[in-house]
Amino acid sequence: MKKCLILFLSLVLVCFACSALADNILRWGFESDPTGFDPHTNPEDMSIRVMNQLYETLVATNPDMTYYGRLAESWENPDEVTYVFHLRQNVKFHSGRPMTAADVVYSFERILGRTEAGDIGALGSKSTYYGDIDTVEAVDDYTVKFVLKNVNAAFLGNLSSNYGAIVDKDVIAANGDLMRADGGTGPFMLKDWVRDNNVSLVKFADYWEADRVRLDGITYYVIGDESARLAALRTGEIDISTMSASNVPIAEKDANLKVLSYQSNQYIALGCNMSTPALQDKRVRQAITYATDREALINIVFSGQAMACSIVPPSLGHWSVPLDELDVYHTDVEKAKAMMEEAGYSKTNRLSLKVAAGLLDAIRQSAVVLQQQLAEIYIDLDIVNLEQGEYVDTWYKMATPEAGFDMMVVQDGAGTDPNRSVAFFFKTGASANVFGYSNERVDELCDLALSTPDPDIREGYYNEAQKICIDDCVKTGIACMTMYYVTSANLDGFAPTAADASNYRDMYFVK
Amino acid sequence: MRNYVIRRILQIIPVLLGVSILIFAVMKLIPGDVISGALGVEGSPELRQALTVKYGLDKPYHVQYINWILGVLHGDFGDSLRTSEPIFPEMMRRFSVTAELTILGALISWIIAIPLGILAATHRNKGIDRFVRVFALMGVSIPSFALSILVILFLALVFSYFSPLGYVSFFENPVKNLQIMILPSFVLGITIAGSIMRMTRSSMLEVLQQDFIKTVRAKGASERITIFKHALRNAFIPIITLIGMQIGSLLGGAVIIEQIFSLPGLGQMTLTGINQRDYPVVQGCVLFIAFIYILVNLITDLLYAYIDPRISYN
Repeated sequence: MKKCLILFLSLVLVCFACSALADNILRWGFESDPTGFDPHTNPEDMSIRVMNQLYETLVATNPDMTYYGRLAESWENPDEVTYVFHLRQNVKFHSGRPMTAADVVYSFERILGRTEAGDIGALGSKSTYYGDIDTVEAVDDYTVKFVLKNVNAAFLGNLSSNYGAIVDKDVIAANGDLMRADGGTGPFMLKDWVRDNNVSLVKFADYWEADRVRLDGITYYVIGDESARLAALRTGEIDISTMSASNVPIAEKDANLKVLSYQSNQYIALGCNMSTPALQDKRVRQAITYATDREALINIVFSGQAMACSIVPPSLGHWSVPLDELDVYHTDVEKAKAMMEEAGYSKTNRLSLKVAAGLLDAIRQSAVVLQQQLAEIYIDLDIVNLEQGEYVDTWYKMATPEAGFDMMVVQDGAGTDPNRSVAFFFKTGASANVFGYSNERVDELCDLALSTPDPDIREGYYNEAQKICIDDCVKTGIACMTMYYVTSANLDGFAPTAADASNYRDMYFVK
Repeated sequence: MRNYVIRRILQIIPVLLGVSILIFAVMKLIPGDVISGALGVEGSPELRQALTVKYGLDKPYHVQYINWILGVLHGDFGDSLRTSEPIFPEMMRRFSVTAELTILGALISWIIAIPLGILAATHRNKGIDRFVRVFALMGVSIPSFALSILVILFLALVFSYFSPLGYVSFFENPVKNLQIMILPSFVLGITIAGSIMRMTRSSMLEVLQQDFIKTVRAKGASERITIFKHALRNAFIPIITLIGMQIGSLLGGAVIIEQIFSLPGLGQMTLTGINQRDYPVVQGCVLFIAFIYILVNLITDLLYAYIDPRISYN
């Protein structure tokens, strides 16, 4: 009898051990703690990696920057300003309540500040996103009609942004906002969040595409130090993390790990404060661009793992004008010197410029390389590395003398649509046009392109606008980074792209 | 004694008030604000305006300060601007992590430092003394971030070990909690052991040369009695001062160690708050840390009287 009991107990123990081994939880190593999970108001990177599992949008982006339906099964354009979306009928919120057209209407009214809560500071409320939506109405339970104030060729692209997530009204009513709550329809549900330590998600059993999701959950652990993250990957404590180029060779040597890379839409650029008199001279700005040796910089700063780029990086595919066609991007120090001399500078009369850097290693190191390269053309850069909060604050002021800097090295995200990479950063008064660039023709082309649905004609407009911005050299593109994920060798089903780098729904562990 | 304690406790009030004004002013003076931090590249003038009003940052500074300090006086430290979570409960959760790290780290450092410091003093210029001096110098000189990373890499590469992830409190799961805490406590212990060791050694050496030790020895007391009953007790005052100061500052969070070992402590909370310009979080944390520091100092002062009865506070 006693023996039987012991045998039974050991069996139970073995079963427990097995189940512990077989758990299908993806363990993620995060650089920092997320700040909250309200998809409409939070643009922070770590939070987005979590929110993308909790929330879904009507449409999503393919790797080639075309769109497919996610919560919408299909859509049609009866005319240029009207979009009718037919929703999937089997979608449920994490509360179990079916998602209907009323929820889509509510979500966009919340974004546009048209609910009782008023203006919640939603990121998508601007005209660069959903600001030009005139009306959103539910035609029936599963059909939603959007009418725009004007033609907007970037509308579908904007809908695929997580700022347009469809959210559960009841969860917002119960919690005030979604920073710590979960009102989504996505493949995973928020289970727990221990601040500065971990966030755990579990699989949503009623997910509309539940068969496709093979993980049982995801736990994000905050491990601030990259060496510690790499150590955790090597000992198998975590399954996936982002990694900087300098640590990738170590990971590549480890047979238990594999490295995934993709060409991102993030690029390093040098911007000129247009209130600095010396930089109002186009010859000086062009000379700086001619003197920039992108290949040399990429070898030093990114160990060769980046692509020389203009202001629309190559990850945007056909929207990006190839560098060969851009004269100012052909490094020519002699020509640059001649231009500087023409502008009145010489060995004895050098130009001193104060440059703001900081925030990221890539920005700091790029500034140092540029300092060396520009020294040859009579320019002395005085680099100041700013702390995070100060850096962002200075960035907003870079069109004014108030900034205290003549130039700034920045890392910008070009998005998936040229409306973002061109208009958002270069149109007069656009919110990310922080250097004070203004060109009437560019403004006109941006407006024309936005109101033109035909992609080929649109491309022509953006190409022309791009070339003007590039020739004016107010912001000079330098390098577009390759991004890396290091994962355990048995993790499969993950293919990050610039358009969608945080889609984990197809991941699984190979047994 | 009682009057002294009451007087000291009353002194805390103006100090904390001064600290609160100072930290409020500093947070307003440093460039950058919570809104820039929250919005990053996605900001626009309208959005910034909406958030300024939402966070109450459009009010004059003195109104903001008075609103905040009145809340604090009622025990309400306000909500975090970034996460809209109430600050006080979070601060207490964080403090328990930091307190555990401090206690374990301090215990480890005492276990290493005090016996070795005494041995070094009693065996002056012998092998053990040289070892202690080198060890103490290393403890003082190696930055904690370097030691932390070395320990992590050494264990990972040689033993394929990484301490468990996902913090749990001691009361939820003591075994896992200690597994998580042992490495950071060890690193913390080593880094603070150096100075305690040096202080113990020099203080003991000084006492051992005094006349009353000769008297003790002359009356025929054993070496053990001489060292532990007479010398050590007299040598302890400067050691206690040092330990008090160390604990005071450690309870404010060993930021670097917390960051590298991913411990959700008070130091991390303050640092995250500073980076995000989350004003009420930083103000609350700094005020709390100042309070703890003053309290530890008071306890240290009271301990003097206990160790050396000649010191009295009447």
